Amino acid sequence: MNAHVTRRARRNRKPLRAYLLPALVYCLLIIGVLIVVIPLMWAAAASFTPNHKVFEYAYPFSWRALLPVDFTLEAYENIFARGFGQSITNTLFLAFVTVFVGGAANALAGFAFGRFEFRGKNALFMVIVMLTFLVPVDLTAIPRYILINNFGWINTWQGLLVPGLANSLVIFLFRQFFAEIPQELIDAARVDGASWLRVLWSIVLPISKPVLVAAGLLMFISQWNSFFWPLLVAPRQELRVVQVEISLAVGQYGTIWNELLAGSMIAAIVPILLVMPFQRYYVQAITGTGLE
Amino acid sequence: MCVAHLNQAASDIFAMTMRQRIVPYLLLLPALVLLLVFNLLPTIATIVESTFVISLRSGERVFAGFANFERIFNDPIFWKSLQVTVVFSLVVNPLQIALSLGLSMLMNQRLPGIGIFRSIYLLPVAVSLNVTAIVWRLLLDKNTGMINGILFNMGIERQPFLHSPDQALWSIILIASWIGVPLWSLFILAGLQNIPPPVLEAAKIDGANAWQSFTRVTLPLLRRVLAFVLVADTVANFLLFAPILLTTQGGPQLSTNLILYETYRRGFLYGDLGASAAMLSVMLLIVFVIVGVELYVLRGSD
Repeated sequence: MNAHVTRRARRNRKPLRAYLLPALVYCLLIIGVLIVVIPLMWAAAASFTPNHKVFEYAYPFSWRALLPVDFTLEAYENIFARGFGQSITNTLFLAFVTVFVGGAANALAGFAFGRFEFRGKNALFMVIVMLTFLVPVDLTAIPRYILINNFGWINTWQGLLVPGLANSLVIFLFRQFFAEIPQELIDAARVDGASWLRVLWSIVLPISKPVLVAAGLLMFISQWNSFFWPLLVAPRQELRVVQVEISLAVGQYGTIWNELLAGSMIAAIVPILLVMPFQRYYVQAITGTGLE
Repeated sequence: MCVAHLNQAASDIFAMTMRQRIVPYLLLLPALVLLLVFNLLPTIATIVESTFVISLRSGERVFAGFANFERIFNDPIFWKSLQVTVVFSLVVNPLQIALSLGLSMLMNQRLPGIGIFRSIYLLPVAVSLNVTAIVWRLLLDKNTGMINGILFNMGIERQPFLHSPDQALWSIILIASWIGVPLWSLFILAGLQNIPPPVLEAAKIDGANAWQSFTRVTLPLLRRVLAFVLVADTVANFLLFAPILLTTQGGPQLSTNLILYETYRRGFLYGDLGASAAMLSVMLLIVFVIVGVELYVLRGSD
Protein backbone atom coordinates (compact mmCIF):
# COMPACT_ATOMS: atom_id res chain seq x y z
CA MET A 1 0.00 0.00 0.00
CA ASN A 2 2.66 2.38 1.12
CA ALA A 3 4.92 1.34 -1.70
CA HIS A 4 2.05 1.78 -4.10
CA VAL A 5 1.46 5.37 -2.97
CA THR A 6 5.07 6.39 -3.25
CA ARG A 7 5.32 4.81 -6.67
CA ARG A 8 2.30 6.79 -7.79
CA ALA A 9 3.69 9.94 -6.25
CA ARG A 10 6.91 9.40 -8.10
CA ARG A 11 5.08 8.87 -11.36
CA ASN A 12 3.13 12.07 -10.80
CA ARG A 13 6.23 14.00 -9.91
CA LYS A 14 8.13 13.03 -12.98
CA PRO A 15 6.44 15.28 -15.58
CA LEU A 16 6.74 18.19 -13.16
CA ARG A 17 10.43 17.53 -12.68
CA ALA A 18 10.87 17.25 -16.40
CA TYR A 19 9.76 20.89 -16.63
CA LEU A 20 11.37 22.12 -13.45
CA LEU A 21 14.91 21.11 -14.28
CA PRO A 22 15.14 22.90 -17.65
CA ALA A 23 13.37 25.90 -16.14
CA LEU A 24 15.96 26.05 -13.38
CA VAL A 25 18.80 25.65 -15.91
CA TYR A 26 17.42 28.47 -18.05
CA CYS A 27 16.97 30.72 -14.98
CA LEU A 28 20.57 30.23 -13.88
CA LEU A 29 21.87 30.66 -17.43
CA ILE A 30 19.92 33.90 -17.79
CA ILE A 31 21.28 35.26 -14.50
CA GLY A 32 24.77 34.54 -15.82
CA VAL A 33 23.97 36.19 -19.14
CA LEU A 34 22.81 39.33 -17.33
CA ILE A 35 26.10 39.45 -15.42
CA VAL A 36 28.01 39.12 -18.70
CA VAL A 37 25.89 41.40 -20.87
CA ILE A 38 24.81 44.28 -18.60
CA PRO A 39 28.35 45.65 -18.03
CA LEU A 40 29.04 45.52 -21.77
CA MET A 41 25.69 47.07 -22.68
CA TRP A 42 26.16 49.90 -20.19
CA ALA A 43 29.72 50.52 -21.42
CA ALA A 44 28.59 50.53 -25.06
CA ALA A 45 25.63 52.80 -24.34
CA ALA A 46 27.73 55.18 -22.24
CA SER A 47 30.34 55.44 -25.00
CA PHE A 48 27.58 56.92 -27.22
CA THR A 49 26.44 59.35 -24.52
CA PRO A 50 27.59 62.93 -23.78
CA ASN A 51 30.11 62.83 -20.96
CA HIS A 52 28.00 64.70 -18.40
CA LYS A 53 25.20 62.16 -18.86
CA VAL A 54 27.30 58.98 -18.63
CA PHE A 55 26.08 58.14 -15.11
CA GLU A 56 22.65 59.75 -15.45
CA TYR A 57 20.66 56.52 -15.56
CA ALA A 58 23.21 54.40 -13.72
CA TYR A 59 22.53 55.94 -10.30
CA PRO A 60 19.71 55.42 -9.51
CA PHE A 61 19.64 52.57 -11.98
CA SER A 62 17.11 52.54 -14.79
CA TRP A 63 16.95 50.46 -17.95
CA ARG A 64 17.81 53.53 -19.97
CA ALA A 65 21.37 53.15 -18.70
CA LEU A 66 21.70 50.21 -21.08
CA LEU A 67 20.59 52.06 -24.20
CA PRO A 68 22.18 55.12 -25.82
CA VAL A 69 19.14 57.36 -25.26
CA ASP A 70 21.12 60.60 -25.72
CA PHE A 71 22.98 59.28 -28.74
CA THR A 72 26.15 61.10 -29.81
CA LEU A 73 29.36 60.16 -31.59
CA GLU A 74 31.27 62.88 -29.74
CA ALA A 75 33.45 60.48 -27.72
CA TYR A 76 34.53 58.53 -30.81
CA GLU A 77 35.20 61.70 -32.79
CA ASN A 78 37.33 63.08 -29.95
CA ILE A 79 39.51 60.03 -29.47
CA PHE A 80 40.14 59.70 -33.20
CA ALA A 81 40.95 63.39 -33.38
CA ARG A 82 43.53 62.75 -30.66
CA GLY A 83 45.18 59.95 -32.66
CA PHE A 84 43.46 56.77 -31.51
CA GLY A 85 43.49 55.58 -35.12
CA GLN A 86 47.29 55.36 -34.98
CA SER A 87 47.15 52.86 -32.12
CA ILE A 88 44.66 50.73 -34.05
CA THR A 89 46.93 50.67 -37.11
CA ASN A 90 49.92 49.83 -34.89
CA THR A 91 48.13 46.95 -33.20
CA LEU A 92 46.76 45.56 -36.47
CA PHE A 93 50.24 45.68 -37.98
CA LEU A 94 51.75 43.85 -34.99
CA ALA A 95 48.96 41.29 -34.97
CA PHE A 96 49.23 40.51 -38.70
CA VAL A 97 53.02 40.17 -38.62
CA THR A 98 52.74 37.92 -35.57
CA VAL A 99 50.15 35.74 -37.26
CA PHE A 100 52.10 35.32 -40.49
CA VAL A 101 55.76 35.36 -39.43
CA GLY A 102 55.27 33.87 -35.97
CA GLY A 103 52.69 31.48 -37.35
CA ALA A 104 55.15 30.16 -39.93
CA ALA A 105 57.89 29.62 -37.34
CA ASN A 106 55.49 27.90 -34.96
CA ALA A 107 53.98 25.74 -37.70
CA LEU A 108 57.44 24.54 -38.84
CA ALA A 109 58.36 23.67 -35.26
CA GLY A 110 55.03 21.94 -34.75
CA PHE A 111 55.64 19.93 -37.93
CA ALA A 112 59.08 18.85 -36.74
CA PHE A 113 57.68 17.69 -33.38
CA GLY A 114 54.62 16.07 -34.92
CA ARG A 115 56.19 14.19 -37.86
CA PHE A 116 59.89 13.52 -37.24
CA GLU A 117 61.94 11.29 -35.04
CA PHE A 118 65.29 12.87 -34.24
CA ARG A 119 67.90 12.89 -31.53
CA GLY A 120 67.08 15.16 -28.64
CA LYS A 121 63.42 15.46 -29.64
CA ASN A 122 62.06 14.59 -26.22
CA ALA A 123 64.59 16.75 -24.43
CA LEU A 124 63.84 19.75 -26.65
CA PHE A 125 60.15 19.22 -26.28
CA MET A 126 60.46 19.04 -22.52
CA VAL A 127 62.38 22.32 -22.49
CA ILE A 128 59.57 24.02 -24.39
CA VAL A 129 56.88 22.46 -22.21
CA MET A 130 58.73 23.53 -19.07
CA LEU A 131 59.25 27.04 -20.36
CA THR A 132 55.58 27.35 -21.18
CA PHE A 133 54.09 26.05 -18.00
CA LEU A 134 56.77 26.85 -15.45
CA VAL A 135 57.77 30.31 -16.60
CA PRO A 136 54.81 32.43 -17.65
CA VAL A 137 55.95 35.29 -19.92
CA ASP A 138 54.79 38.05 -17.59
CA LEU A 139 57.05 36.66 -14.87
CA THR A 140 60.19 37.18 -16.93
CA ALA A 141 59.14 40.49 -18.46
CA ILE A 142 61.60 42.58 -16.46
CA PRO A 143 64.76 40.61 -17.38
CA ARG A 144 63.45 40.42 -20.95
CA TYR A 145 63.19 44.18 -20.83
CA ILE A 146 66.84 44.39 -19.75
CA LEU A 147 67.79 42.07 -22.61
CA ILE A 148 65.85 44.14 -25.15
CA ASN A 149 67.47 47.23 -23.70
CA ASN A 150 70.92 45.67 -24.36
CA PHE A 151 69.85 45.06 -27.96
CA GLY A 152 68.92 48.75 -28.17
CA TRP A 153 65.34 47.74 -29.00
CA ILE A 154 63.42 49.84 -26.45
CA ASN A 155 60.78 51.89 -28.26
CA THR A 156 61.21 49.98 -31.52
CA TRP A 157 59.01 47.69 -33.58
CA GLN A 158 61.49 44.84 -33.11
CA GLY A 159 61.23 45.16 -29.35
CA LEU A 160 57.45 44.94 -29.49
CA LEU A 161 57.31 42.18 -32.05
CA VAL A 162 60.18 39.73 -31.93
CA PRO A 163 59.83 38.35 -28.36
CA GLY A 164 56.21 37.36 -29.06
CA LEU A 165 56.74 35.57 -32.38
CA ALA A 166 57.49 32.09 -31.04
CA ASN A 167 54.53 30.85 -29.04
CA SER A 168 54.76 27.46 -27.44
CA LEU A 169 50.99 27.05 -27.11
CA VAL A 170 50.70 27.51 -30.85
CA ILE A 171 53.54 25.01 -31.41
CA PHE A 172 51.55 22.46 -29.35
CA LEU A 173 48.46 23.16 -31.38
CA PHE A 174 50.27 22.53 -34.69
CA ARG A 175 52.12 19.49 -33.35
CA GLN A 176 48.88 17.87 -32.26
CA PHE A 177 47.23 18.46 -35.63
CA PHE A 178 50.20 17.43 -37.78
CA ALA A 179 50.74 14.24 -35.78
CA GLU A 180 47.27 13.06 -36.85
CA ILE A 181 47.76 13.45 -40.62
CA PRO A 182 47.78 9.97 -42.25
CA GLN A 183 51.34 8.87 -43.09
CA GLU A 184 50.29 7.60 -46.56
CA LEU A 185 49.53 11.13 -47.72
CA ILE A 186 53.05 12.26 -46.92
CA ASP A 187 54.75 9.07 -48.14
CA ALA A 188 53.08 9.33 -51.54
CA ALA A 189 54.50 12.79 -52.07
CA ARG A 190 57.91 11.85 -50.71
CA VAL A 191 58.18 8.88 -53.09
CA ASP A 192 57.51 11.28 -55.92
CA GLY A 193 60.63 13.10 -54.78
CA ALA A 194 59.01 16.17 -53.28
CA SER A 195 61.11 18.06 -50.77
CA TRP A 196 59.82 18.56 -47.23
CA LEU A 197 59.01 22.18 -47.82
CA ARG A 198 57.07 21.17 -50.93
CA VAL A 199 55.20 18.49 -48.92
CA LEU A 200 54.37 21.09 -46.30
CA TRP A 201 53.23 23.63 -48.83
CA SER A 202 51.19 21.52 -51.24
CA ILE A 203 50.06 18.50 -49.21
CA VAL A 204 49.87 19.53 -45.57
CA LEU A 205 48.84 23.17 -45.82
CA PRO A 206 45.67 22.64 -47.89
CA ILE A 207 44.23 20.18 -45.37
CA SER A 208 45.23 22.24 -42.32
CA LYS A 209 42.53 24.88 -42.42
CA PRO A 210 41.12 24.10 -38.95
CA VAL A 211 44.48 24.40 -37.20
CA LEU A 212 45.47 27.47 -39.22
CA VAL A 213 42.27 29.29 -38.29
CA ALA A 214 42.58 28.23 -34.64
CA ALA A 215 46.26 29.20 -34.36
CA GLY A 216 45.70 32.43 -36.29
CA LEU A 217 42.87 33.48 -34.00
CA LEU A 218 44.87 32.61 -30.90
CA MET A 219 47.88 34.65 -32.04
CA PHE A 220 45.89 37.57 -33.40
CA ILE A 221 43.75 37.98 -30.29
CA SER A 222 46.58 37.51 -27.84
CA GLN A 223 48.55 40.18 -29.70
CA TRP A 224 45.53 42.49 -29.90
CA ASN A 225 44.92 42.07 -26.15
CA SER A 226 48.58 42.20 -25.07
CA PHE A 227 49.31 44.91 -22.59
CA PHE A 228 52.09 44.31 -20.05
CA TRP A 229 54.91 43.88 -22.57
CA PRO A 230 54.04 46.84 -24.84
CA LEU A 231 53.57 48.98 -21.73
CA LEU A 232 57.12 48.22 -20.62
CA VAL A 233 58.97 48.14 -23.90
CA ALA A 234 57.38 50.80 -26.09
CA PRO A 235 55.98 53.75 -24.19
CA ARG A 236 56.66 56.09 -27.13
CA GLN A 237 53.50 57.66 -28.50
CA GLU A 238 54.00 56.57 -32.13
CA LEU A 239 54.29 52.91 -31.13
CA ARG A 240 51.35 52.71 -28.74
CA VAL A 241 49.04 49.76 -29.05
CA VAL A 242 45.33 49.88 -28.32
CA GLN A 243 45.45 48.33 -24.86
CA VAL A 244 48.21 50.68 -23.71
CA GLU A 245 46.43 53.69 -25.18
CA ILE A 246 43.19 53.00 -23.31
CA SER A 247 45.02 52.23 -20.07
CA LEU A 248 46.99 55.48 -20.23
CA ALA A 249 43.73 57.34 -20.80
CA VAL A 250 42.62 56.09 -17.38
CA GLY A 251 45.32 58.23 -15.81
CA GLN A 252 45.30 61.17 -18.20
CA TYR A 253 41.66 61.56 -19.13
CA GLY A 254 40.24 59.72 -16.12
CA THR A 255 37.14 61.86 -15.94
CA ILE A 256 36.27 61.87 -19.64
CA TRP A 257 34.40 58.64 -19.11
CA ASN A 258 32.68 58.44 -22.47
CA GLU A 259 36.03 58.63 -24.30
CA LEU A 260 37.55 56.04 -21.99
CA LEU A 261 34.63 53.75 -22.78
CA ALA A 262 34.71 54.52 -26.51
CA GLY A 263 38.35 53.37 -26.64
CA SER A 264 37.50 50.32 -24.57
CA MET A 265 34.61 49.41 -26.86
CA ILE A 266 36.88 49.55 -29.91
CA ALA A 267 39.41 47.40 -28.05
CA ALA A 268 36.65 44.92 -27.22
CA ILE A 269 34.77 44.76 -30.51
CA VAL A 270 37.66 43.55 -32.68
CA PRO A 271 38.24 40.24 -30.86
CA ILE A 272 34.50 39.76 -30.40
CA LEU A 273 33.86 40.14 -34.15
CA LEU A 274 36.69 37.71 -34.88
CA VAL A 275 35.65 35.11 -32.34
CA MET A 276 31.91 34.99 -33.00
CA PRO A 277 32.00 33.55 -36.55
CA PHE A 278 34.79 31.12 -35.65
CA GLN A 279 33.63 30.06 -32.18
CA ARG A 280 34.34 26.39 -32.63
CA TYR A 281 37.89 27.02 -33.82
CA TYR A 282 38.59 29.50 -31.09
CA VAL A 283 37.29 27.28 -28.31
CA GLN A 284 39.32 24.44 -29.74
CA ALA A 285 42.41 26.66 -29.91
CA ILE A 286 42.05 27.64 -26.26
CA THR A 287 41.12 24.28 -24.82
CA GLY A 288 43.15 22.11 -27.22
CA THR A 289 46.42 23.31 -25.73
CA GLY A 290 45.49 22.36 -22.22
CA LEU A 291 43.73 19.05 -22.61
CA GLU A 292 46.35 16.99 -24.32
CA MET B 1 84.95 3.31 -62.95
CA CYS B 2 82.54 0.94 -61.34
CA VAL B 3 83.96 1.63 -57.92
CA ALA B 4 83.81 5.34 -58.51
CA HIS B 5 80.21 4.95 -59.46
CA LEU B 6 79.46 3.02 -56.29
CA ASN B 7 81.29 5.61 -54.27
CA GLN B 8 79.26 8.29 -55.92
CA ALA B 9 76.04 6.43 -55.11
CA ALA B 10 77.14 5.86 -51.52
CA SER B 11 77.99 9.48 -51.02
CA ASP B 12 74.69 10.47 -52.59
CA ILE B 13 72.85 8.28 -50.09
CA PHE B 14 75.03 9.62 -47.33
CA ALA B 15 74.30 13.20 -48.38
CA MET B 16 70.61 12.39 -48.58
CA THR B 17 70.41 10.83 -45.13
CA MET B 18 72.46 13.69 -43.73
CA ARG B 19 70.01 16.10 -45.28
CA GLN B 20 67.16 13.99 -43.96
CA ARG B 21 68.62 14.14 -40.49
CA ILE B 22 69.02 17.86 -40.34
CA VAL B 23 65.54 18.61 -41.74
CA PRO B 24 63.75 18.52 -38.34
CA TYR B 25 66.43 20.70 -36.78
CA LEU B 26 66.12 23.24 -39.57
CA LEU B 27 62.35 23.29 -39.12
CA LEU B 28 62.75 23.82 -35.39
CA LEU B 29 65.48 26.41 -35.64
CA PRO B 30 63.54 29.70 -35.93
CA ALA B 31 61.03 29.02 -33.18
CA LEU B 32 63.58 27.39 -30.92
CA VAL B 33 66.11 30.22 -31.17
CA LEU B 34 63.38 32.75 -30.40
CA LEU B 35 62.16 30.77 -27.42
CA LEU B 36 65.67 30.30 -26.05
CA VAL B 37 66.63 33.95 -26.43
CA PHE B 38 63.40 35.56 -25.28
CA ASN B 39 62.08 33.01 -22.79
CA LEU B 40 64.85 30.83 -21.44
CA LEU B 41 67.53 33.50 -21.26
CA PRO B 42 65.36 35.97 -19.29
CA THR B 43 64.45 33.17 -16.88
CA ILE B 44 68.10 32.57 -16.13
CA ALA B 45 68.71 36.31 -16.09
CA THR B 46 66.03 36.75 -13.42
CA ILE B 47 67.93 34.49 -11.09
CA VAL B 48 71.30 36.04 -11.98
CA GLU B 49 69.96 39.59 -11.70
CA SER B 50 68.61 38.89 -8.22
CA THR B 51 72.21 38.63 -6.98
CA PHE B 52 73.22 42.08 -8.23
CA VAL B 53 72.59 45.55 -6.89
CA ILE B 54 73.14 48.96 -8.47
CA SER B 55 75.71 50.69 -6.30
CA LEU B 56 74.48 54.06 -5.06
CA ARG B 57 77.99 55.49 -4.99
CA SER B 58 79.23 54.55 -8.47
CA GLY B 59 75.97 53.62 -10.23
CA GLU B 60 77.59 50.33 -11.25
CA ARG B 61 76.12 46.87 -11.11
CA VAL B 62 77.76 45.05 -8.23
CA PHE B 63 77.52 41.40 -7.24
CA ALA B 64 75.71 41.24 -3.92
CA GLY B 65 75.10 37.56 -3.17
CA PHE B 66 71.88 37.19 -1.23
CA ALA B 67 71.67 40.85 -0.23
CA ASN B 68 68.56 41.47 -2.35
CA PHE B 69 66.82 38.47 -0.82
CA GLU B 70 67.79 39.60 2.67
CA ARG B 71 66.39 43.00 1.82
CA ILE B 72 63.02 41.76 0.60
CA PHE B 73 62.70 39.18 3.37
CA ASN B 74 63.17 41.99 5.91
CA ASP B 75 60.67 44.18 4.11
CA PRO B 76 57.14 44.27 5.59
CA ILE B 77 55.72 45.51 2.26
CA PHE B 78 56.94 42.36 0.52
CA TRP B 79 55.40 40.13 3.21
CA LYS B 80 52.18 42.10 3.16
CA SER B 81 52.07 41.71 -0.63
CA LEU B 82 52.69 37.97 -0.37
CA GLN B 83 49.99 37.72 2.28
CA VAL B 84 47.47 39.59 0.10
CA THR B 85 48.37 37.31 -2.81
CA VAL B 86 47.85 34.16 -0.71
CA VAL B 87 44.49 35.36 0.64
CA PHE B 88 43.44 36.39 -2.87
CA SER B 89 44.50 33.00 -4.30
CA LEU B 90 42.75 31.02 -1.58
CA VAL B 91 39.48 32.82 -2.32
CA VAL B 92 39.58 33.41 -6.06
CA ASN B 93 40.72 29.98 -7.26
CA PRO B 94 38.18 27.76 -5.46
CA LEU B 95 35.48 30.33 -6.22
CA GLN B 96 36.27 30.47 -9.93
CA ILE B 97 36.59 26.71 -10.26
CA ALA B 98 33.33 26.00 -8.43
CA LEU B 99 31.46 28.57 -10.53
CA SER B 100 33.14 27.32 -13.74
CA LEU B 101 32.13 23.76 -12.94
CA GLY B 102 28.55 24.91 -12.37
CA LEU B 103 28.46 27.03 -15.52
CA SER B 104 29.95 24.27 -17.67
CA MET B 105 27.36 21.79 -16.41
CA LEU B 106 24.61 24.25 -17.28
CA MET B 107 26.09 24.78 -20.74
CA ASN B 108 26.34 21.00 -21.20
CA GLN B 109 22.55 20.55 -20.96
CA ARG B 110 20.88 19.51 -24.19
CA LEU B 111 18.27 22.24 -24.33
CA PRO B 112 16.96 24.36 -27.17
CA GLY B 113 18.92 27.59 -27.58
CA ILE B 114 21.91 26.40 -25.56
CA GLY B 115 24.22 27.43 -28.41
CA ILE B 116 23.16 31.06 -27.98
CA PHE B 117 24.07 30.93 -24.30
CA ARG B 118 27.45 29.39 -25.11
CA SER B 119 28.12 32.21 -27.59
CA ILE B 120 27.22 34.90 -25.06
CA TYR B 121 29.47 33.37 -22.42
CA LEU B 122 32.32 33.58 -24.93
CA LEU B 123 32.16 37.40 -24.88
CA PRO B 124 34.24 37.96 -21.71
CA VAL B 125 36.82 35.45 -22.96
CA ALA B 126 37.45 37.56 -26.07
CA VAL B 127 37.56 40.90 -24.23
CA SER B 128 40.88 41.93 -22.67
CA LEU B 129 41.49 42.24 -18.94
CA ASN B 130 42.14 45.96 -19.44
CA VAL B 131 38.75 46.64 -20.94
CA THR B 132 37.14 44.56 -18.20
CA ALA B 133 39.02 46.50 -15.53
CA ILE B 134 38.13 49.90 -17.03
CA VAL B 135 34.44 49.07 -17.38
CA TRP B 136 34.16 47.58 -13.89
CA ARG B 137 36.08 50.47 -12.37
CA LEU B 138 33.29 52.76 -13.59
CA LEU B 139 30.52 50.29 -12.69
CA LEU B 140 31.93 50.09 -9.15
CA ASP B 141 32.35 53.86 -8.80
CA LYS B 142 31.64 54.76 -5.20
CA ASN B 143 29.45 57.75 -6.03
CA THR B 144 27.53 57.15 -9.22
CA GLY B 145 28.47 53.66 -10.39
CA MET B 146 25.75 51.39 -11.71
CA ILE B 147 26.27 48.75 -9.02
CA ASN B 148 25.62 51.39 -6.37
CA GLY B 149 22.66 52.51 -8.49
CA ILE B 150 21.19 49.00 -8.34
CA LEU B 151 21.88 48.84 -4.59
CA PHE B 152 20.13 52.23 -4.21
CA ASN B 153 17.07 50.85 -6.00
CA MET B 154 17.06 47.97 -3.53
CA GLY B 155 17.32 50.38 -0.61
CA ILE B 156 20.91 49.51 0.25
CA GLU B 157 23.32 52.33 1.01
CA ARG B 158 26.35 53.20 -1.13
CA GLN B 159 29.39 50.95 -0.90
CA PRO B 160 32.96 52.23 -1.42
CA PHE B 161 34.12 49.04 -3.26
CA LEU B 162 37.58 49.78 -4.76
CA HIS B 163 38.12 52.64 -2.30
CA SER B 164 37.80 50.57 0.84
CA PRO B 165 40.59 48.39 2.28
CA ASP B 166 37.91 45.86 3.24
CA GLN B 167 36.17 45.68 -0.13
CA ALA B 168 38.86 46.41 -2.70
CA LEU B 169 40.28 42.88 -2.87
CA TRP B 170 36.75 41.48 -3.26
CA SER B 171 36.14 43.91 -6.09
CA ILE B 172 39.33 42.68 -7.79
CA ILE B 173 38.12 39.10 -7.32
CA LEU B 174 34.85 40.06 -9.01
CA ILE B 175 36.68 41.69 -11.95
CA ALA B 176 39.04 38.71 -12.40
CA SER B 177 36.15 36.24 -12.20
CA TRP B 178 34.05 38.02 -14.80
CA ILE B 179 36.63 36.80 -17.34
CA GLY B 180 37.93 33.78 -15.43
CA VAL B 181 34.69 31.88 -14.88
CA PRO B 182 33.58 31.80 -18.55
CA LEU B 183 37.17 31.05 -19.62
CA TRP B 184 37.76 28.06 -17.35
CA SER B 185 34.26 26.72 -17.92
CA LEU B 186 35.25 26.26 -21.59
CA PHE B 187 37.90 23.75 -20.51
CA ILE B 188 35.55 21.91 -18.17
CA LEU B 189 32.82 21.88 -20.81
CA ALA B 190 35.25 20.28 -23.26
CA GLY B 191 36.01 17.70 -20.58
CA LEU B 192 32.30 17.04 -19.96
CA GLN B 193 31.74 16.54 -23.67
CA ASN B 194 34.47 13.91 -23.69
CA ILE B 195 32.52 11.74 -21.26
CA PRO B 196 30.75 9.10 -23.36
CA PRO B 197 26.96 9.27 -22.73
CA PRO B 198 26.71 5.45 -22.24
CA VAL B 199 28.83 5.81 -19.08
CA LEU B 200 26.28 8.11 -17.48
CA GLU B 201 23.37 6.01 -18.77
CA ALA B 202 24.93 2.93 -17.22
CA ALA B 203 25.14 4.74 -13.87
CA LYS B 204 21.47 5.69 -14.20
CA ILE B 205 20.46 2.10 -14.95
CA ASP B 206 22.41 0.98 -11.90
CA GLY B 207 20.14 3.22 -9.85
CA ALA B 208 22.45 6.20 -9.25
CA ASN B 209 20.64 9.49 -8.62
CA ALA B 210 21.84 12.75 -10.13
CA TRP B 211 24.11 13.60 -7.20
CA GLN B 212 25.65 10.14 -7.12
CA SER B 213 26.35 10.07 -10.83
CA PHE B 214 27.89 13.55 -10.51
CA THR B 215 30.20 12.68 -7.62
CA ARG B 216 31.01 9.09 -8.58
CA VAL B 217 31.11 9.24 -12.38
CA THR B 218 31.40 12.81 -13.69
CA LEU B 219 33.87 14.23 -11.20
CA PRO B 220 36.37 11.34 -11.36
CA LEU B 221 36.29 11.50 -15.17
CA LEU B 222 36.93 15.25 -15.01
CA ARG B 223 39.94 14.85 -12.76
CA ARG B 224 42.56 15.56 -15.40
CA VAL B 225 40.74 18.61 -16.72
CA LEU B 226 40.06 19.94 -13.24
CA ALA B 227 43.70 19.46 -12.25
CA PHE B 228 44.80 21.39 -15.33
CA VAL B 229 42.29 24.17 -14.74
CA LEU B 230 43.24 24.39 -11.07
CA VAL B 231 46.90 24.94 -11.88
CA ALA B 232 46.41 27.19 -14.91
CA ASP B 233 43.90 29.28 -12.96
CA THR B 234 46.20 29.49 -9.94
CA VAL B 235 49.14 30.62 -12.06
CA ALA B 236 47.02 33.13 -14.00
CA ASN B 237 45.63 34.67 -10.82
CA PHE B 238 49.05 34.62 -9.19
CA LEU B 239 50.21 36.86 -12.04
CA LEU B 240 47.22 39.21 -12.08
CA PHE B 241 48.46 42.66 -13.01
CA ALA B 242 46.39 44.82 -15.37
CA PRO B 243 43.28 45.17 -13.16
CA ILE B 244 45.45 46.33 -10.26
CA LEU B 245 47.27 48.92 -12.36
CA LEU B 246 44.01 50.20 -13.80
CA THR B 247 41.90 50.29 -10.65
CA THR B 248 43.60 50.48 -7.26
CA GLN B 249 47.38 50.58 -7.94
CA GLY B 250 47.80 48.27 -4.95
CA GLY B 251 45.81 50.41 -2.54
CA PRO B 252 43.97 51.36 -0.45
CA GLN B 253 46.52 50.68 2.30
CA LEU B 254 48.24 48.00 0.14
CA SER B 255 45.10 45.84 0.43
CA THR B 256 45.27 44.89 -3.26
CA ASN B 257 49.05 45.02 -3.70
CA LEU B 258 49.34 41.64 -5.42
CA ILE B 259 52.85 40.30 -5.88
CA LEU B 260 53.36 40.92 -9.61
CA TYR B 261 52.22 44.50 -9.16
CA GLU B 262 54.70 44.87 -6.29
CA THR B 263 57.59 43.67 -8.50
CA TYR B 264 56.50 46.15 -11.18
CA ARG B 265 56.35 48.94 -8.60
CA ARG B 266 59.83 48.09 -7.30
CA GLY B 267 61.42 47.54 -10.69
CA PHE B 268 59.85 50.22 -12.81
CA LEU B 269 58.43 52.90 -10.55
CA TYR B 270 61.27 52.85 -7.98
CA GLY B 271 64.00 51.53 -10.30
CA ASP B 272 65.07 48.86 -7.80
CA LEU B 273 65.67 46.06 -10.30
CA GLY B 274 67.66 43.93 -7.82
CA ALA B 275 64.80 43.68 -5.34
CA SER B 276 62.36 43.21 -8.20
CA ALA B 277 64.41 40.32 -9.60
CA ALA B 278 64.70 38.74 -6.15
CA MET B 279 60.90 38.83 -5.81
CA LEU B 280 60.50 37.37 -9.27
CA SER B 281 62.87 34.56 -8.31
CA VAL B 282 60.73 33.81 -5.27
CA MET B 283 57.66 33.84 -7.54
CA LEU B 284 59.39 31.48 -10.00
CA LEU B 285 60.01 29.09 -7.12
CA ILE B 286 56.35 29.30 -6.07
CA VAL B 287 55.17 28.61 -9.63
CA PHE B 288 57.58 25.65 -9.83
CA VAL B 289 56.04 24.21 -6.68
CA ILE B 290 52.48 24.74 -7.94
CA VAL B 291 53.21 23.13 -11.31
CA GLY B 292 55.20 20.35 -9.63
CA VAL B 293 52.10 19.51 -7.61
CA GLU B 294 50.08 19.52 -10.84
CA LEU B 295 52.40 17.07 -12.56
CA TYR B 296 52.21 14.85 -9.50
CA VAL B 297 48.40 14.92 -9.49
CA LEU B 298 48.20 14.29 -13.24
CA ARG B 299 50.58 11.35 -12.98
CA GLY B 300 48.44 9.82 -10.24
CA SER B 301 45.38 9.73 -12.48
CA ASP B 302 46.87 7.84 -15.39
